[in-house]
Amino acid sequence: MPRRRKKEERKIAFERINVLFGLAEKYGLKGNTQRANRYAHLAWKIGMRYNVTIPGNLKRKYCRGCHTFLRPGINCRVRLTGDRITTVCEKCGRFYRYPILKERNASTK
Amino acid sequence: MISKKNIYKHELIGLPAEVVSSTHSGYVGMKGLIVDETQNTLVMEVDSSEKVIPKKGTRFKFSLPEEVEVNGAKLMFRPQDRIKKAGR
Repeated sequence: MPRRRKKEERKIAFERINVLFGLAEKYGLKGNTQRANRYAHLAWKIGMRYNVTIPGNLKRKYCRGCHTFLRPGINCRVRLTGDRITTVCEKCGRFYRYPILKERNASTK
Repeated sequence: MISKKNIYKHELIGLPAEVVSSTHSGYVGMKGLIVDETQNTLVMEVDSSEKVIPKKGTRFKFSLPEEVEVNGAKLMFRPQDRIKKAGR
Protein backbone atom coordinates (compact mmCIF):
# COMPACT_ATOMS: atom_id res chain seq x y z
CA MET A 1 0.00 0.00 0.00
CA PRO A 2 1.55 3.27 -1.04
CA ARG A 3 2.26 5.89 1.57
CA ARG A 4 -0.15 8.81 1.79
CA ARG A 5 1.30 12.18 0.92
CA LYS A 6 -0.46 14.31 3.48
CA LYS A 7 1.27 17.53 2.54
CA GLU A 8 0.10 17.21 -1.05
CA GLU A 9 -3.38 16.19 0.08
CA ARG A 10 -3.69 19.30 2.22
CA LYS A 11 -2.59 21.48 -0.65
CA ILE A 12 -5.27 20.05 -2.95
CA ALA A 13 -7.86 20.27 -0.15
CA PHE A 14 -7.05 23.95 0.34
CA GLU A 15 -7.42 24.63 -3.37
CA ARG A 16 -10.71 22.77 -3.50
CA ILE A 17 -12.09 24.75 -0.56
CA ASN A 18 -11.26 27.97 -2.37
CA VAL A 19 -12.85 26.76 -5.60
CA LEU A 20 -16.03 25.69 -3.80
CA PHE A 21 -16.40 28.96 -1.93
CA GLY A 22 -15.89 30.86 -5.17
CA LEU A 23 -18.72 28.87 -6.76
CA ALA A 24 -20.92 29.23 -3.66
CA GLU A 25 -20.53 32.99 -3.91
CA LYS A 26 -21.35 32.95 -7.60
CA TYR A 27 -24.55 30.93 -7.19
CA GLY A 28 -25.45 32.64 -3.92
CA LEU A 29 -25.50 36.03 -5.58
CA LYS A 30 -27.63 34.62 -8.41
CA GLY A 31 -30.16 33.45 -5.82
CA ASN A 32 -29.54 29.72 -6.01
CA THR A 33 -29.36 29.26 -2.23
CA GLN A 34 -29.61 25.50 -2.30
CA ARG A 35 -26.55 25.10 -4.47
CA ALA A 36 -24.53 27.68 -2.54
CA ASN A 37 -25.29 25.84 0.71
CA ARG A 38 -24.32 22.52 -0.81
CA TYR A 39 -20.93 23.90 -1.89
CA ALA A 40 -20.26 25.46 1.51
CA HIS A 41 -21.13 22.12 3.10
CA LEU A 42 -18.77 20.23 0.78
CA ALA A 43 -15.99 22.71 1.49
CA TRP A 44 -16.49 22.21 5.23
CA LYS A 45 -16.39 18.42 4.79
CA ILE A 46 -13.12 18.59 2.87
CA GLY A 47 -11.65 20.83 5.54
CA MET A 48 -12.64 18.38 8.28
CA ARG A 49 -11.28 15.34 6.50
CA TYR A 50 -7.79 16.70 5.82
CA ASN A 51 -7.36 18.90 8.87
CA VAL A 52 -7.33 22.05 6.78
CA THR A 53 -8.66 25.24 8.32
CA ILE A 54 -10.97 27.32 6.19
CA PRO A 55 -9.02 30.51 5.41
CA GLY A 56 -9.79 33.64 7.37
CA ASN A 57 -11.38 35.55 4.52
CA LEU A 58 -13.95 32.75 4.01
CA LYS A 59 -14.50 31.81 7.63
CA ARG A 60 -17.26 34.34 8.21
CA LYS A 61 -19.08 33.50 5.01
CA TYR A 62 -20.57 30.25 6.24
CA CYS A 63 -22.42 29.14 9.36
CA ARG A 64 -20.43 26.82 11.58
CA GLY A 65 -23.65 25.41 13.02
CA CYS A 66 -25.51 24.33 9.89
CA HIS A 67 -22.90 24.97 7.16
CA THR A 68 -25.06 27.28 5.10
CA PHE A 69 -23.52 29.97 2.95
CA LEU A 70 -24.35 33.26 4.66
CA ARG A 71 -25.57 36.22 2.67
CA PRO A 72 -26.31 39.30 4.74
CA GLY A 73 -29.89 40.48 4.35
CA ILE A 74 -31.09 37.20 2.87
CA ASN A 75 -30.30 34.39 5.28
CA CYS A 76 -28.35 36.15 8.00
CA ARG A 77 -28.83 39.26 10.10
CA VAL A 78 -25.92 41.61 10.72
CA ARG A 79 -26.16 44.18 13.49
CA LEU A 80 -23.76 46.51 15.23
CA THR A 81 -24.10 45.97 18.96
CA GLY A 82 -21.80 48.17 20.98
CA ASP A 83 -18.23 47.17 20.25
CA ARG A 84 -19.21 43.99 18.40
CA ILE A 85 -20.65 42.93 15.08
CA THR A 86 -23.38 40.37 15.70
CA THR A 87 -24.24 38.00 12.85
CA VAL A 88 -27.22 35.70 13.27
CA CYS A 89 -27.86 32.73 10.99
CA GLU A 90 -31.58 32.83 10.17
CA LYS A 91 -31.71 29.09 9.52
CA CYS A 92 -30.34 27.65 12.75
CA GLY A 93 -30.25 30.75 14.94
CA ARG A 94 -26.60 30.49 15.78
CA PHE A 95 -24.96 33.83 16.34
CA TYR A 96 -21.43 35.13 16.13
CA ARG A 97 -20.00 38.16 17.84
CA TYR A 98 -16.93 39.59 16.24
CA PRO A 99 -15.08 42.54 17.76
CA ILE A 100 -14.93 45.73 15.76
CA LEU A 101 -11.22 46.22 15.50
CA LYS A 102 -9.58 49.59 15.27
CA GLU A 103 -8.60 50.54 11.79
CA ARG A 104 -5.17 49.24 10.96
CA ASN A 105 -2.73 50.08 8.24
CA ALA A 106 -3.86 48.94 4.82
CA SER A 107 -0.80 46.71 4.59
CA THR A 108 -1.77 44.54 7.55
CA LYS A 109 -5.20 43.71 6.21
CA MET B 1 -3.85 24.04 -9.57
CA ILE B 2 -5.97 21.47 -11.36
CA SER B 3 -4.09 19.64 -14.08
CA LYS B 4 -4.09 16.40 -16.00
CA LYS B 5 -2.06 14.80 -13.24
CA ASN B 6 -4.31 15.55 -10.27
CA ILE B 7 -7.75 15.62 -11.88
CA TYR B 8 -8.81 12.44 -10.03
CA LYS B 9 -8.18 14.19 -6.73
CA HIS B 10 -9.25 17.71 -7.57
CA GLU B 11 -12.57 19.53 -7.64
CA LEU B 12 -14.82 18.60 -10.56
CA ILE B 13 -17.68 20.93 -9.68
CA GLY B 14 -17.62 23.95 -11.95
CA LEU B 15 -15.76 22.29 -14.81
CA PRO B 16 -17.24 22.03 -18.29
CA ALA B 17 -17.51 18.39 -19.28
CA GLU B 18 -18.77 16.04 -21.93
CA VAL B 19 -19.80 12.39 -21.89
CA VAL B 20 -17.59 10.53 -24.36
CA SER B 21 -18.89 7.02 -23.92
CA SER B 22 -21.35 5.28 -21.67
CA THR B 23 -22.93 1.86 -21.20
CA HIS B 24 -26.26 3.63 -21.74
CA SER B 25 -26.32 5.35 -25.11
CA GLY B 26 -28.68 8.09 -23.90
CA TYR B 27 -25.89 9.76 -21.92
CA VAL B 28 -23.40 9.93 -24.78
CA GLY B 29 -22.79 13.42 -26.09
CA MET B 30 -24.19 15.30 -23.10
CA LYS B 31 -22.33 18.52 -22.61
CA GLY B 32 -22.45 21.04 -19.79
CA LEU B 33 -21.17 22.24 -16.44
CA ILE B 34 -20.72 19.88 -13.51
CA VAL B 35 -22.84 21.26 -10.67
CA ASP B 36 -22.82 18.51 -8.05
CA GLU B 37 -21.16 15.26 -7.13
CA THR B 38 -22.01 12.21 -5.04
CA GLN B 39 -20.22 8.91 -4.55
CA ASN B 40 -21.82 7.28 -7.57
CA THR B 41 -22.98 10.16 -9.76
CA LEU B 42 -22.07 13.47 -11.29
CA VAL B 43 -24.79 16.07 -11.79
CA MET B 44 -24.46 17.99 -15.03
CA GLU B 45 -26.33 21.10 -16.08
CA VAL B 46 -27.44 20.58 -19.68
CA ASP B 47 -29.51 23.39 -21.21
CA SER B 48 -30.64 24.67 -17.78
CA SER B 49 -31.82 21.24 -16.61
CA GLU B 50 -29.91 18.99 -14.23
CA LYS B 51 -28.94 15.54 -15.44
CA VAL B 52 -27.70 12.88 -13.04
CA ILE B 53 -25.07 10.74 -14.71
CA PRO B 54 -23.64 7.59 -13.09
CA LYS B 55 -19.86 7.47 -12.83
CA LYS B 56 -19.69 3.72 -13.33
CA GLY B 57 -19.33 2.75 -16.96
CA THR B 58 -18.98 6.31 -18.22
CA ARG B 59 -16.03 8.17 -19.69
CA PHE B 60 -15.97 11.94 -19.24
CA LYS B 61 -14.00 14.55 -21.10
CA PHE B 62 -13.13 17.59 -19.02
CA SER B 63 -11.90 20.75 -20.60
CA LEU B 64 -9.23 22.30 -18.46
CA PRO B 65 -7.17 24.45 -20.74
CA GLU B 66 -6.22 21.11 -22.31
CA GLU B 67 -8.73 18.29 -22.75
CA VAL B 68 -8.56 15.32 -20.39
CA GLU B 69 -10.46 12.08 -20.67
CA VAL B 70 -11.34 10.43 -17.39
CA ASN B 71 -12.68 7.01 -16.53
CA GLY B 72 -15.73 7.54 -14.33
CA ALA B 73 -15.25 4.25 -12.45
CA LYS B 74 -12.02 5.63 -10.97
CA LEU B 75 -13.92 8.57 -9.49
CA MET B 76 -16.22 6.38 -7.44
CA PHE B 77 -15.60 7.83 -4.01
CA ARG B 78 -17.34 10.48 -1.96
CA PRO B 79 -16.15 13.91 -3.09
CA GLN B 80 -14.26 14.54 0.15
CA ASP B 81 -12.66 11.06 0.09
CA ARG B 82 -11.38 11.36 -3.45
CA ILE B 83 -8.23 13.25 -2.44
CA LYS B 84 -6.84 10.36 -0.45
CA LYS B 85 -8.42 7.42 -2.24
CA ALA B 86 -8.57 8.17 -5.95
CA GLY B 87 -5.70 7.80 -8.38
CA ARG B 88 -3.72 5.26 -6.38
